[in-house]
Formats: sequence, structure tokens, C-alpha cells
Amino acid sequence: MTETTSPEKMSRKQQKKLRVQGLSREERGYLRRKAAADKVWPLFRFVILFGLSFIILYPLIYMVSCAFRDRSDMSDPTVMWITRHHTIDVIKETMKAMNFWETLRTTLLLNIGCALVQVISCAITGYGFARFDFRGKKLLFGIVIMMILVPMQVIALPLYTQFRFFLGRFNLIDTMWAMYLPAMTGNGIRSGLMILIFRQFFRGLPKEIEDAAYIDGCGPLRTFIQVMVPNAASAFLTVFLFSVVWYWNDYYVSMTFFVHTETVATMLTNLDSRLGAALFNNATIQLDEREKIVWKEAGCLLSIAPLIIMYVFLQKYFTEGIERSGLVA
Amino acid sequence: MDENKTEQIEPTASEAAEKLRKTRPSGRRRSLLSYQRRKGLYGLCFISLWLIGTIVFFLIPLGKSLAYSFCEVKIKQGGKDLTWKGLANYDYAVNADKKFMDNLEATLLETLWKTPLIIIFSLFIAVILNQKFRGRALARAIFFLPVIIATGPVFKVISGDMNSTGNIGGEQFSTMFSTDLVGQLMQFLGIYGLSDKMGLIISTVADNIFGIVWNSGIQILLFLAALQNIPPSAREAAQIEGATSWEFFWKITFPYVSPFILANLIFTVIDTFTNPMNTVMKRILDKKNEWAFGEASAMAWIYFLIIIAAIGIITFIVNKFIYYEVE
Repeated sequence: MTETTSPEKMSRKQQKKLRVQGLSREERGYLRRKAAADKVWPLFRFVILFGLSFIILYPLIYMVSCAFRDRSDMSDPTVMWITRHHTIDVIKETMKAMNFWETLRTTLLLNIGCALVQVISCAITGYGFARFDFRGKKLLFGIVIMMILVPMQVIALPLYTQFRFFLGRFNLIDTMWAMYLPAMTGNGIRSGLMILIFRQFFRGLPKEIEDAAYIDGCGPLRTFIQVMVPNAASAFLTVFLFSVVWYWNDYYVSMTFFVHTETVATMLTNLDSRLGAALFNNATIQLDEREKIVWKEAGCLLSIAPLIIMYVFLQKYFTEGIERSGLVA
Repeated sequence: MDENKTEQIEPTASEAAEKLRKTRPSGRRRSLLSYQRRKGLYGLCFISLWLIGTIVFFLIPLGKSLAYSFCEVKIKQGGKDLTWKGLANYDYAVNADKKFMDNLEATLLETLWKTPLIIIFSLFIAVILNQKFRGRALARAIFFLPVIIATGPVFKVISGDMNSTGNIGGEQFSTMFSTDLVGQLMQFLGIYGLSDKMGLIISTVADNIFGIVWNSGIQILLFLAALQNIPPSAREAAQIEGATSWEFFWKITFPYVSPFILANLIFTVIDTFTNPMNTVMKRILDKKNEWAFGEASAMAWIYFLIIIAAIGIITFIVNKFIYYEVE
């Protein structure tokens, strides 16, 4: 019966058998191993990826779980992921303690502005390094590398005095200038790395498009703005996004230069000490460490929520942009 | 005869070339130079903004901090007082400050074993994420998530929770990979002598897997970019030759990504060293908060020199094994 059911199938099987018989022993072994690997590997891959994804997502899930629970649930051993009392009070309290909307406004103002200015200044500098020859270029580029290597902590203190008595009389501490000025002149957070990226990127672009512009009588600046920048749009976006992320996450630099101006990151860093004062009007109140976690996790959730939203919508540019931008060269 | 001829021809050719170079019209040469000079000037214009910023916000502070490290710094009303102390600050950092040296040693050791693990792990993940399978976009999105979180204070809270409070956090989680399990597996396989040492190593790795996974976002991104640059022709050729995936990895993938291994190594080392959360950094910060600027600067400089040395050594060693396509 089975032989007559599908002659087409039979013939294919036979064909296959014939083909396998025609192969040498090594070839057959290779095919067999390959077939086995093709079957096992996807399962193995799934297990690995799933496990590691869990490690990455674990704190985030925990964050969400904590932020929406009552703080008494923290001491309840039966509560693990799903809370007994759903509440958004903790989120509200944390928002109050962090002065959230005000802080968010300051942060965004600082963040987007600085990132934008920094990307522009770094792109101009990177272009200068990529396309022009001048005396001392190697030395200057060495300084760029130095900027990547020197930890901020080494220069933070002299930089503080620099801003405290800027040009002899201005006090820039606690003003936005302390962040904007370095960003404007290509010395913001991780500027060295960005200059390097832009240099690599512009070096990777064909020289011909530029030469064409020169022949048409374009000056270097106009060539840069009208010819190079449109070509570098995706690189600009990627670097801009990373710049936003780095400024958003920075708490070290902001804590050095700001005393009263608070960004989301510095707020979160100081959240521990602010909780008592903000929620119970008592700065010396002793809160249970375990219960504190609720607010801490809520604070975390609040401060990464904007980043996550941005990431969800612009994920493509984070991951694909870097492949096309200079780092590959 | 033939040999003689070639010998004769060669010098004349080079002579002629030299003559040509000498007799090139000087006018044209000057205009070429001036064009180059003009272009150089433009280049300087392009970087001038950065140059000013660097002098004000980088070089001067750097110089100052170097000066502080050789001086005793006293803060007084409206300024600082510097008195020359020579190498006393450095002497203090190396010989007197036990905490600093301990932290330094711990950080160096941690970097030493964590960096290779991060590199291997991220290369492995990049290779997986480069394959075609369902849900790849989601997997990529998840694995790059640390890129946007790991540099910030949120990570500080997260990893603090994972390590210390152990509430519902880290401990329960890491028991999933507990030493017993590994040891039992080893015993089951009939390996007895190894199990203690191996178990220790494996459990350390397992306990730190959180830190490794969370710190390799950018590295995965870079490796993935490198993998996508492997020409399809290389893949096809390997397939036709009947290479197994293992051979393919070592003979095709590895050479192509090797320059990125160096880049990633350097990036990882810088990242771990300059992380504000690392203990040496904290120690320097503490010193600063005690207004001991001289000592703090000296420590920072020692630390910085070690970073430079480490990167120099890595570059020197790894450069020998790198395969550059263009050469």
C-alpha cells in the first residue's frame, strides 16, 4: 500500500538514496553531522538566548513588580512577583520625592541641548581631522585619544575651579553653562570618542563628492554643510542618540558642577537621603532597608522610562546606525 | 649579458626620475604648496573650536591636576595655596594608603579576568545574533538594552540590589548556577580531582554572569557590525569547500573580526577603569571629599598611568595576532 500511495515521493526518496550512494564516505559523514547540528543547534540557541535575556530583563521585571506594590508587601514572604496590593502610591510618592516633572524638564533641557551641540561640534572637528592636513595634526589627534583615556575624575577638580572663576570673574557653577560650554567646544561627555567616530566616518566617504563641490566653487564650510552633512545623516542620528543616553545617565559630571540644579540621574543617586525628608517631613527617619527598595525601584523605573520609550521607537538607529557609521572602518 | 643590462637600466631610470623631480617647474610646485597650505588652514579652522575648548577644559585642568599631585594643596578663602612637596603625595598613595593599594589590586585583578570573558561572551552572542532565526529582532533589542542603561545610576541601584540586599534578588538567582550543581555534574562525569578548583572557577563566573552580560552591550554591537562586514563570497567559498561551522568560525569569522577584538579590548578596559562605580575611583573621590587634593591627584595620576600601560601592553600583544584585510 505505502509503495503505491505516492509515487512522486518515492521517486524523490529514491533519488536521494541514489545521490547519497554516489557520495564518498566523508561527504556522507559531513552531511549527517550537518543535519544533526541543524536540528540541535536551534534548540540550544533558544535556551542560551532565553536564559541570557532573562538575566537582562530580570532587574527590569523586578523594577516593575516593585514599583507597583505596597511597601508592606516587601516583608511579605509570599509575595514574589505578583503583588498582593496593587497601588501606584509608591510611584506618586517617588515622583514627589524626586520632584519629578521639574527635574525632568531640567534634564531634557540640558540633555537634548548638550547632545545636539556636542554632536555638531564633534562632527566639525572630526571632519577637520579626516580631510585636511596641517602641521601638528598627529599631535592634536593624540590629544583626542588622550581625551578618551583620561578619566573625568582626574580633571574634575581643576575643572571645578575653572568654572568657579571662569575668565577670572564669572561663576558658572550651578548654571547650565558648565555643561553647555564644554559640549559646544567638543569637550563634553565622551567627546573624544565621538570625534573619533566622526573622523572614521568622514574618512570612509568617497572623496569624489567633495572634489566635485570644490570644482563647482564651493568653499570648505559650504561643502561640509551642503555635501557631507546630508550624507552623514544616519551617523549623526546614531551619535546623537548615544550622546543623549550618555548625558542622561551621567551623574558624576553633573554632581561635580551642580549644587542645586538636579537632573534625573543625580536625583536618583541621592534618592536614598531624600526619601525621609520628602515623604515623612523627617530627614532623620530610619526606614527599613527592605522597604526602601520599593521607592528605589520606582525611582529607577521613572528615570529609565523616557530612555526606554526612546529606545523602543528608535531602536533601529541605535543598532543599525553604528554598523554604518565610522566604527566599522 | 642580460644581468648586466638590467643593472645598467636601473640606475639610469632612477636618475631620470630624480632629474624629473628636480626640473619640475618651480611655479607649479609653489602653487601646489600654497593650495596645500590653504587647505591646512581650513582644517585648522575646522578644529579651532575644539582646540580652544580642549585647552580650556582639558589641557589646563590636566596640567593643574599634575601640578597638584606634586604639591600640598590648601584651600583658603578665594583660592588655593600650593606648596611644593615633590613625590611625597605619590609616596603616600603607594606606601601609606593601604586602602588605595588594595582597591587598585582588586580592580586590576577583576579587569584582568573579566575583560577576556566579556570579549568571548560578546563575540559568541554576536555570532548567534547574526544568524537567521525567528525573533531575532526581539533578541537583539533585548541584548542591546544594557547599552542604554548600564552607564547610569540605575545600574548602580540594580547591581546593588543584585549583590547586597539579596532580598528576592541576587542570591536566589545565582543558586540556579550553584557550585553544588557544577560539582555534581563533574562527579557524574567521573571527574573528581578537578571539581573543587573547576567548581570555584565556574561558580565565580556564574555569580558574575550578571555583570558580564550587562557590560557587553556595546561590544556585541561592535562585533555584530564586524560580522556583517564579512563578504558573502568568503561564506560561499567555505560552504563549497565543506567547512563545518567550527572551522568556519576559526578560519573565516575570527580573522575578520580580529581587529575588532582589539577595539573591544581597549573599549572594555577603558570602560571598567573609568567607571565611577569602581572602587579605586571611589577612593579617589573620597580623598577629594576630604579636601586632600594633592593625594587625590597623585592617586588619579598613578591610576591613569596604569591604564595607559595596560592599554599599551594589550595593543602590543594583540596587534601580533590581528589580520588586516587591506595590506
